Amino acid sequence: MATASTTVTKPSRRGATLSQRRMIAGFLFVLPAVIFTLAMFIFPLIMTGWMSLHDWPLLGQATFLGLQNYVDLVNDGQFWSSLWFTTQYTLLVTPPIFILAFMLALLVNTALRGIGVFRTIYFIPVVIGLGTSSLLWVWLLNDRVGIINGLLLDSGLIERPIIWFVDKNLAMFAIIVSIVWKTVGFSMILLLAGMQAIPDELYQAAEVDGASYWQRLTHIMMPLLRSTFALALVLSVIGSYLAFDQFYIMTRGGPQNQTITTVYWIFNNSFTYYKLGYGAALSIVLLVILGILSIIQLRVLRDDTTY
Amino acid sequence: MQRLSRFLVVLSLMATLMLAACTAPAAAPAGESAAEEAPAGGATMSFWTRDSNQEQVRKLVDAWNESHENKIEVTVIPASEYMTKVGASVGAGAPPDLMAVDLIYVPQFAAAGQLTDITDLAKGLPYFEQLSPSHVRLATYDGKIFGLPFNAEGSYLIYNKGLFEQAGLDPENPPKTWAEIADAAAKIRALGEDIYGFYFSGSCAGCNAFTFLPLIWANGGDVLSEDGATATLTDPSVAGALELYRQMWADDLIPAGAQADTGTDFANAFTTGKIGMAGTGAFAINNIKTNFPEIDFGATFLPGAEGGESSFAGGDSIAIPAGSKYPNEAFEFIQWATSDEVQLEYYAKLNNLPVRTDLAENEFFAADPRLTTAAQAMAMGKTPYTVVYNQLFNDANGPWLKMIQTAVFDGDVEGAVNTAQEEFTKILTEQ
Repeated sequence: MATASTTVTKPSRRGATLSQRRMIAGFLFVLPAVIFTLAMFIFPLIMTGWMSLHDWPLLGQATFLGLQNYVDLVNDGQFWSSLWFTTQYTLLVTPPIFILAFMLALLVNTALRGIGVFRTIYFIPVVIGLGTSSLLWVWLLNDRVGIINGLLLDSGLIERPIIWFVDKNLAMFAIIVSIVWKTVGFSMILLLAGMQAIPDELYQAAEVDGASYWQRLTHIMMPLLRSTFALALVLSVIGSYLAFDQFYIMTRGGPQNQTITTVYWIFNNSFTYYKLGYGAALSIVLLVILGILSIIQLRVLRDDTTY
Repeated sequence: MQRLSRFLVVLSLMATLMLAACTAPAAAPAGESAAEEAPAGGATMSFWTRDSNQEQVRKLVDAWNESHENKIEVTVIPASEYMTKVGASVGAGAPPDLMAVDLIYVPQFAAAGQLTDITDLAKGLPYFEQLSPSHVRLATYDGKIFGLPFNAEGSYLIYNKGLFEQAGLDPENPPKTWAEIADAAAKIRALGEDIYGFYFSGSCAGCNAFTFLPLIWANGGDVLSEDGATATLTDPSVAGALELYRQMWADDLIPAGAQADTGTDFANAFTTGKIGMAGTGAFAINNIKTNFPEIDFGATFLPGAEGGESSFAGGDSIAIPAGSKYPNEAFEFIQWATSDEVQLEYYAKLNNLPVRTDLAENEFFAADPRLTTAAQAMAMGKTPYTVVYNQLFNDANGPWLKMIQTAVFDGDVEGAVNTAQEEFTKILTEQ
């Protein structure tokens, strides 16, 4: 680097060498991104870490605690049961999203006339706010005025309206249905993009060799979609681990506090009990857990295939 | 290397600047008086309020601005975000000059030293003794007064007169004891498959503080000691009131959906016209009159087992944050808002409860005795005094709602009460 500036003998008008000017220009180009990352990620992260070392009430002075919040966290039964519940939820909600998203992607990856309309339709729920969609489902599932109970009653499948949110399993089922409906379009678009990046020649060559549709699917498309799968999976798992809105709005953590997710517990500590320092410590731990989970997923699905 | 190091210098400089920019205000000592003289031509005071009663507040402030030199600028904040917004502004040393806050949070603000002591000014008001006693009690900390009532809400029992009549009950003689509530609920339930005697939001913590606590108070019991330091849930009135709900639930007098209602149906269930009775607040009166004129309803006090009556006095208190720039001008507004004329013109006339007990009966409410009932309920009402209100009562996953659910839906009243007593005590001793 240092040699670069010495080899240029002719200084420019402003006294800066060409490479220096290039450097400054380059720096200016990345500056917006750097500022954004600093302001929106690095600084809040440092602040969260700093807060997590304090007893930080909403009102009044913060007092330094050292690592006490983290010690409390280890002994916090609700935190661990929330983490376990969130894991269960993630394990239950991820397969339906993926299977359905893959099937939908296959469907809309055809060149049929008007297929773009379906693509749009499947994607629409993604652009609705999660809070809004959760409230929508609360009313769809309502026992008194909900359409779903109405349909089930009219079709004679049930005799009394189902009260979805008084039973943990029913509540979980209802939430999973609502979330699959809400997010499947996003995974579908990711997979679709991956599918369209696969060169047609590969399929044509395989077809010439006599490969069936199923063989083309399992031996060409699926292996080549590995990295797309990895991305979609990591995003989906992170999303599920950060689940909050749907539980806050649809179950309020009930029945009997059986559906409290990790983020819900962070919310409760921070904004119901106003223990902001403890909430920060919980957030840091969740961040570490998510980091580890993402690394594992990316390792397992590492893409060594090239074409 | 040169490039890298220069880059790092710039980077660290920027980081330092941003850190400084973000933390500097927080370093300003909160609670220090920042009072300024009102500038010539009048001061402009910032006033924060939650969205729940913004319509009333806007009308009130417009009227003030028209007639006063010092102006007020209102900022409306969603109720669910109010505390965090105020907390952040106080922490940053830039609080509003004046704020209205849910009365249950005033002890918490006062305990943290975030409010201006207005004891002398408040006691100097000729009608000080007539101000809502519950608001004043909650605004008193260490013998000093930090706020005055600004907006009032009182819980009471709403009942459907049409269903009462159909069930052979006297619509002009609503229940006055727990047994009469259960009896009326049973008779109304008998009217039809989809008609129920009673309703409450079984998964809503706050709704039940508002409508269930008064049953306990009316019976002479309480869930906290007078100073708010000790839990008293083993008081037999608590188990008694829970038993009333449990029995009605077991007898199928309450719709099954009530169990899962997180509060979304709190105001709606009664407006279906298929619910005999429910606990509610003054807000319901205007709503039903305007949107459901076909429902003929009455209002009565929430009773104790053998009579008695009580209410949860809710609403907002108005206070001057410790960093207010215009504390004296701010108090002028408080004084104006609580005066006879304003209480009648901008509260009672607009169907809002006055915050003064001497104005519960007034010319505007004379036409609708239900408003008078709500105002009287508020005047005799109580409110739990505690700096941990949220944790005890408002937390959807906290001990209060858990107690009600365990007792009513699982049928274990004794176990529910004992667990709640333990959990309340734990939260109170942590403070």
